Amino acid sequence: MKNLANIFKAKKLIKISMSYDDKKNVIGSIKITGKKNVIGSIKITGDFFIHPEETLESLEANLIDTKLERNEISKKVEESLKNSEAFGFDVNSMTDAIMGCLKNE
Amino acid sequence: MNRFEFTKIRVLETGHNSGSWNMALDEVLMNGVGDTPILKIYGWKPSCVSIGYFQSMNEEVNVEKCKQVGIDCVRRITGGGAVFHESELTYSFISRNYPQSIMQSYEMVCEMLILTLKKLGFDAKFSPLNDIIVGGRKVCGNAQTRKNGVMLQHGTMLLGVDVEKMFSLLKVPKEKISDKAIEDVKQRVFGIGKKFDLVANTLKDSASETFSADLSLENITQEEAAATEVLDLEKYASKEWNFKR
Repeated sequence: MKNLANIFKAKKLIKISMSYDDKKNVIGSIKITGKKNVIGSIKITGDFFIHPEETLESLEANLIDTKLERNEISKKVEESLKNSEAFGFDVNSMTDAIMGCLKNE
Repeated sequence: MNRFEFTKIRVLETGHNSGSWNMALDEVLMNGVGDTPILKIYGWKPSCVSIGYFQSMNEEVNVEKCKQVGIDCVRRITGGGAVFHESELTYSFISRNYPQSIMQSYEMVCEMLILTLKKLGFDAKFSPLNDIIVGGRKVCGNAQTRKNGVMLQHGTMLLGVDVEKMFSLLKVPKEKISDKAIEDVKQRVFGIGKKFDLVANTLKDSASETFSADLSLENITQEEAAATEVLDLEKYASKEWNFKR
């Protein structure tokens, strides 16, 4: 597991800290359980607004086990936010904030 | 005149209290509000840093420094940024009737605050989403939540600003604590320099005028006080809540 972090300035500040698995799932010739390049845990903080507020916890939960790839992340963010109203960021900027963690590897 | 009118507004002037008590009472009032909206006017004793619901206390606040100088720290149930509450008047407006549009509901409540500032001699304007400005400088920040069909909007009207003290309590990167940065913040925020009681009285008049409502000046009930004590202790003063993110 690697620990990554990013601070991203959308209209409001988004701070991401996450762990993700970048190991190959093979030891010798044995395939082990687990997925490659997926988010193991993630915390999103910042001075933005989301109504209802519980949406952020759902977003974090939905991102676990998601591949750290732009399309996958964007899809999960869009799905998680669909019944909410966010101010200070949108699907693209939240995706940028998460993917930006890779630049700080 | 505001499109929303109320027959009556229940006004509570609850004095200066701890951050956790102030936030607990907001939640108690949200849970119990009926058709009559509530305007609560209050301050903070001791001074307090509040953080937005989505923020991390450890990322935003110099907690050790706050402890050393006797300043409270509390998480709000509303989003937004960290706020140092000292020289200010704080209000909460709680209502079951409000525009469904978040922007319009901010505007609805802010109209009362803008009228207050105008009555005090300031040319105040709404600055979406959630600020009020005077001469381009922020004088009032607001935050909102909605739960079970009830809207809570709370916010601060700055009476004075101590930027150096604020910077010492918030985790501002060291390289940003320069004379220039302090000067920049001073250029962006504005304390109106009026007495708390004058602003409170003007706010009450403005609430009545904005919503064409009679004011019912009340104290919190014994039941509300008891529920607040419990919620203060069990939630807003707890590490679990304040350090949850």
